[in-house]
Amino acid sequence: MALGTVTESESDLDLRADRPWVCVVWDDPVNLMSYVTHVFMVLFGYSKEKATELMLKVHNEGRATVTSGTREEMERDTQRLHEYGLWATVQRDNEF
Amino acid sequence: MSTFRRITSDETSELAITFSSQEAHVLINLTEQLLELLAEGDGQSHQVDPLLHLVGISSADSLPEDPVLRRLLPNAYDDERAAGEFRRYTEHGLREKKKAHALTIYEALLPQDEEWSGDTPLDKGSIEISFPESDAMAWLGGLNDLRLALAVRLGIGAEKGAPTPSEQHQKYELMLESDPMKAVYAVYSWIGWLQQSLLEAITEQS
Repeated sequence: MALGTVTESESDLDLRADRPWVCVVWDDPVNLMSYVTHVFMVLFGYSKEKATELMLKVHNEGRATVTSGTREEMERDTQRLHEYGLWATVQRDNEF
Repeated sequence: MSTFRRITSDETSELAITFSSQEAHVLINLTEQLLELLAEGDGQSHQVDPLLHLVGISSADSLPEDPVLRRLLPNAYDDERAAGEFRRYTEHGLREKKKAHALTIYEALLPQDEEWSGDTPLDKGSIEISFPESDAMAWLGGLNDLRLALAVRLGIGAEKGAPTPSEQHQKYELMLESDPMKAVYAVYSWIGWLQQSLLEAITEQS
C-alpha cells in the first residue's frame, strides 16, 4: 500500500469519518417479526438473541440502530435491507 | 393449504411445498404484476444516458409516483437531496434485485413437465414444487414484497398511529363477504402464513 501518498489532512479526515454513521430500521407493521429477526441474522451475522432484541426494539420503539460504520458501509447495509423489504435509512450517529 | 417441508440428503438441501392450482395461479399472477411494476419507469423519468444506465446509474432522483413503488423503493435518507443522490446510483440495482426475487418464485411455479402446452398449466388440481435452500432468501424477500404491495392496496400503512396488525385483522374479519377487499386481505394473510412456514422450515434443524 502506498501509504506515503496519503497527505496529512486526508488521513485526519479518514479518522474522523471512522464511525459517525448509522443504519436505522423503522417499524413497518407488514413485516413479520420472525422475518425481520431472520433478515438481521442473515445480513449482519447476528446471533438469534441479538437479532431478536433489535427486532423488538424496532417493534416497541418504532426504530432501532442496527449497524454503525462508515457512510459507505451504512449505505450498503441500507440497500441490502431495502432489497428484503425492510424500511431503513442512513443517518449521522448524533442525529438522535 | 400445505406448508413448506425441508428435504435434505447427504449433499443437497431443498424446500418443497404443494400448492393447489388456485394458490399457484394467485402467486403467478401477483409475481407477474410485481415484475411489471418494478420494470415500470425504471430510469425513464428524464433523458436516459445509455452509458450511465448500463452501469446502473439512473436519472431517477425522487420517490416514484406509484404508491406501491414508493413502499418498495423507499428513500435511504431523510434529507431529500441526499436521498435523491443515493437513489440515482442505487434504484436501478434495487429494482433488479427485487425482480430477481420475484422471478425466483415465478419460475419455480411454472410447471416443468413436457406435457405442459402453455395454456392451462395447473389443470391437475395441485402442483408440487421444490427449490434449493439457497433460494430461500429470494423467496422470503419476494413474498415480503408481495405483502408490501398488497398492504398499500389495503391501506395498511407504516406511518405513526397506523392501525396495528390485530386492529387491521378485526376490520377485515368484520367485512362483508361481498367486499372485494376482504379477498385481498385473505391473500395478504395467506402470503404471510407462507412466509412464516418457510421461515420455520429453514430454521428448524439449523
